[in-house]
Amino acid sequence: MNEKKIIELKGVAKSFDGEIILDNIDLDVHEKEFMTLLGPSGCGKTTTLRIIAGFVTPDSGEVMFDGELINDLPPYKRSVNTVFQKYALFPHLNVYENIAFALRLKKVSEEEIYERVEEMLTMVNLRGFEKRDVNLLSGGQQQRVAIARALINKPRVLLLDEPLGALDLKLRKDMQNELKNIQRKTGITFIYVTHDQEEALSMSDTVVVMANGKIQQIGTPTDIYNEPQNAFVADFIGESNIIDGVMLDDYKVKFSGQEFECLDKGFSKNEPVDVVVRPEDVDVVSPEKGMLCGVVDSVTFKGVHYEIIVTINNFKWMIQSTDYVAPTQSIGLYIEPDAIHIMKKSEYSNMFGDYSSFSDELDRLSDATEEEE
Amino acid sequence: MKKKIAQNIYTILVFVFLYMPIAVLILYSFNASNSTSTFDGFSLKWYRELFSDSASLNALKNTLILAILSAVISTIIGTMAAYGINKMQNKYVKSATMSVTKIPMMNPEIVTGISMMLLFVFVGVLIGGKASLGFGTVLIAHITFNLPYVILSVMPKFKQMDKSLPEAALDLGCTPFQSFFKVELPQIMPGIISGLIMAFTLSLDDFVISYFTIGSGFETLPIRIYSMTKKRVTPDMYALSTLIFVSILILLVVSNLISDKNRDKMSKKAKKITKIVVGSVFGAIALITLIVLIASAGTKTVTLNVYNWGEYISDGSEDTYDTNAEFEKYYEEWYYEKYGEHINVQVNYTTFASNEDLYAKLKSGATGYDVIIPSDYMIERLKADGLLQPLNLNNIPNYENISDQFKNPFYDSDPDEKYTVMYTYGIIGIVYNKDKIDPSDLEKIENGEAGWELLWDEKYAGQILQFNNARDAFGTAMYALGIDVNNATPEEWKMAFEKLKAQKPLVQSYVMDEIYNKMESGEATLAAYYAGDCLSMIANNESLGFFYPKNENGEYVTNIFADAMCIPAGASNKELAEAYINFMLDEEHGAARANAEYIYYASPNKTVFEDLEYIDYLGEDYELIYDPDFNEPYGNGEQTYIEYMFATYAYRDMTEENRARLNGLWEELKVDSTSFGSGIYIVCAVIVVLIVAFGVYKYIQKRQRRRLYWNNPAPAKFENTMSIPKVVAPNDNNTPNSTN
Repeated sequence: MNEKKIIELKGVAKSFDGEIILDNIDLDVHEKEFMTLLGPSGCGKTTTLRIIAGFVTPDSGEVMFDGELINDLPPYKRSVNTVFQKYALFPHLNVYENIAFALRLKKVSEEEIYERVEEMLTMVNLRGFEKRDVNLLSGGQQQRVAIARALINKPRVLLLDEPLGALDLKLRKDMQNELKNIQRKTGITFIYVTHDQEEALSMSDTVVVMANGKIQQIGTPTDIYNEPQNAFVADFIGESNIIDGVMLDDYKVKFSGQEFECLDKGFSKNEPVDVVVRPEDVDVVSPEKGMLCGVVDSVTFKGVHYEIIVTINNFKWMIQSTDYVAPTQSIGLYIEPDAIHIMKKSEYSNMFGDYSSFSDELDRLSDATEEEE
Repeated sequence: MKKKIAQNIYTILVFVFLYMPIAVLILYSFNASNSTSTFDGFSLKWYRELFSDSASLNALKNTLILAILSAVISTIIGTMAAYGINKMQNKYVKSATMSVTKIPMMNPEIVTGISMMLLFVFVGVLIGGKASLGFGTVLIAHITFNLPYVILSVMPKFKQMDKSLPEAALDLGCTPFQSFFKVELPQIMPGIISGLIMAFTLSLDDFVISYFTIGSGFETLPIRIYSMTKKRVTPDMYALSTLIFVSILILLVVSNLISDKNRDKMSKKAKKITKIVVGSVFGAIALITLIVLIASAGTKTVTLNVYNWGEYISDGSEDTYDTNAEFEKYYEEWYYEKYGEHINVQVNYTTFASNEDLYAKLKSGATGYDVIIPSDYMIERLKADGLLQPLNLNNIPNYENISDQFKNPFYDSDPDEKYTVMYTYGIIGIVYNKDKIDPSDLEKIENGEAGWELLWDEKYAGQILQFNNARDAFGTAMYALGIDVNNATPEEWKMAFEKLKAQKPLVQSYVMDEIYNKMESGEATLAAYYAGDCLSMIANNESLGFFYPKNENGEYVTNIFADAMCIPAGASNKELAEAYINFMLDEEHGAARANAEYIYYASPNKTVFEDLEYIDYLGEDYELIYDPDFNEPYGNGEQTYIEYMFATYAYRDMTEENRARLNGLWEELKVDSTSFGSGIYIVCAVIVVLIVAFGVYKYIQKRQRRRLYWNNPAPAKFENTMSIPKVVAPNDNNTPNSTN
């Protein structure tokens, strides 16, 4: 990865009506990077994007672009372009004119405009749509027009604010690939905002997990998934069982009344910790062979696997297994040492990880109502 | 099927109610005669008439200029305001601003008008300007009342617009200014156009606010039509109204065509045609405005502002003499002969509807008038208030044409200092229908023995018309009772009131202009009215007759009134005004006779009423207008009977006390006459009670439904079965029900 920093946020803070939206954010964006800001609604990811675009001025902190301070630079003077959540295509202009808009402002010759618009249309697979009314295009097509319109200016950085949120699942997958391809082809830095962790993991070079106006973790998708830094990240990225435990010694942890071997070290003796076990890393075995035993509460068929909820010591575990077990059946759980990830206690401890409720459903519900800023 | 037919009939009925009046108006604009009761065949006469009526066309021009300017300016200001309101961060300030914006729309126009007038006069006095009311003030007033409508039609478009559009524009390199014009303006354009059209039509037909804020020398069409009430609304106004209606219809169709809803549905060709049509309509309006402006700005002119009753001058309609145009020509020639220089004279002729309107206008500071033509008692009041200036009779040599008996009327009795020159005089008489009246009464009339009592005759119950005008109505009662109209005691006022009250059951209705229809169509049999107008009725229906009522002694006892030309104190061009007055009395140029023929009131001008051609023109009416009896000496022979009538029966300016008394009694009489009986009150009360009861019922129902859950913790029995879902993000305090 290119190590040259293009955008730096230093101690950026913002609040609206006394409510803190961003709390001292530090963030570096490198050239040619595909960076994703991931977090639940209200976490401040869109505000961060809007600060970079220039629509929001931070209360304090510095926004640097190529090493220059741009806090007070208006949006139209920044070499940054945005793809908006609802596309924001100009309804009074057709496809061609929408894409040509930025060039017309720069008084580029008609011939050059034609060439570059056609180039963009080719890139987003919309040749032949020049004369179409943008209001009559499908969501996916509108999205492509929005991308073409933002890219024609050859920006250094492209900001994408949940651009695929309004598309259906199939189309979203296609567009994810397409966006990734475009980013590779053009070599433009992408900063992508989403609340969809799968999208974030599959597309990004770097994922920034945000909550409560703070950055929780920055890292590659695998880092984020495998080595979550706290209970929030662990819960938000994928499914996790997060259990209170005590670090007995290096490589030795105790939870649910049992001792387990693990791969983590460097904690003080008997330090309380959060233990993360991913549901797919738990093997279902017969009760005798199990390290832990419990009774199945419920089983839900999910297509690829079954989702099994088991109660052990008043904690509801979620297990994903391809084998069917019947409810009320007693089963054993087997956990490999490398399936156990130990985290230090944080402010998010004991808030997540128990499957006695439908927190992930709520998650989706609350994300459906987008933050209004 | 039956339901469908009923629905269709209902729809048709609604449309009939809505459009019937306009249909009748359009029909009568093609009437060959000027009768409002009968249709005498198809003709374009009134349209021809309209286009030769320079005063009306001028008023139309003024109205259009005013409408276009105020619509454009208010649209620009209103759009900017809507932009600003939409950008407001604080939603309380925002909603408060919107409410404040809406208030002027709810405000009665009359309040807006009066407050505007007050403000303008106040500011005018403050900055020491002379004529504080004028074109500028009406324009400001129109812009003001148009503003809320523009804002309300633009505002929703801003709200509908995707808020990220302007951001997208900024993002792509627009400055905020470019963003507004390139991106936001196209989105809100439909709102702007409908606001513009609404402002234009509102301004076009506004009467009340214009009326209060307009100054001298500027008249809009609605004001001109309203002031035609001294005579009657001429049918060319039907033609004009028809044209305006058709124009507005076209404007509406156009605005519907360009509304975004339809635009999506239209084919490309239709879009193109619409564009051309809209373009050419606006282009034509712009071009006409430009031409008018250039034409009126191109020449240097001396203006003379004349303020007269509506329809009270020969104005060139129906191939008559165009007094103002003739005067302009005459004066320009005379001036060239005298000074050897060319001058452009422009007579700015505007009209008023009543003496009180004129008085209010002059009092409120509209000073630009040069010649005004009020009635006798009003002249007394204007003189007392110092609003008139004496005439230099040396500049009015034609004053000699005035018959001696009209030179020193009560309102201008000093022979050495003249303020007025009488223009016309008139007498109130009784018009009757020969076919319907009782033969014995007809005989009495023909023998000259009939008096006011005819109007109190129970034989004619439901066929009598009375003035819808306090002073004239009380006059009839006082003349009938033999009370001195100018020195009535409170008891005598009461008597007159009782007399009118006794007449009320016999009266078909209290009318002014409607008398033409009612008498000409034979709907009513008897009515007291002004002589000139009665003769016009007779011209339209030969079975009508006319007489002046007498008392028991065989003397004429009726009201006489005079309208006279005067120059207000603040006149800007006194010499020109005197030249105009002189011209109005002139024999050589024919102005005096032409006006007498046109107005049909009696002229005090010897060169007119002794003119054989004029006598011939009036025919039988001459004896009625200039009843020889009036010229007979009266009393000791020092005055003629008409002088005696002026001295005795003409209305004098009233004291405040009497004016209040008159208005009070009149109200009492009229309120009674419009009473609906107790039925209407009961109906209104029932409606109000039903609405309130419904509201209370709904409120109680709402409370009942809330009872179980509002402010009540769930009862214990529900507690454990409910699983309270865990909150996902720690800062997100939303419970599931707030996610929708």
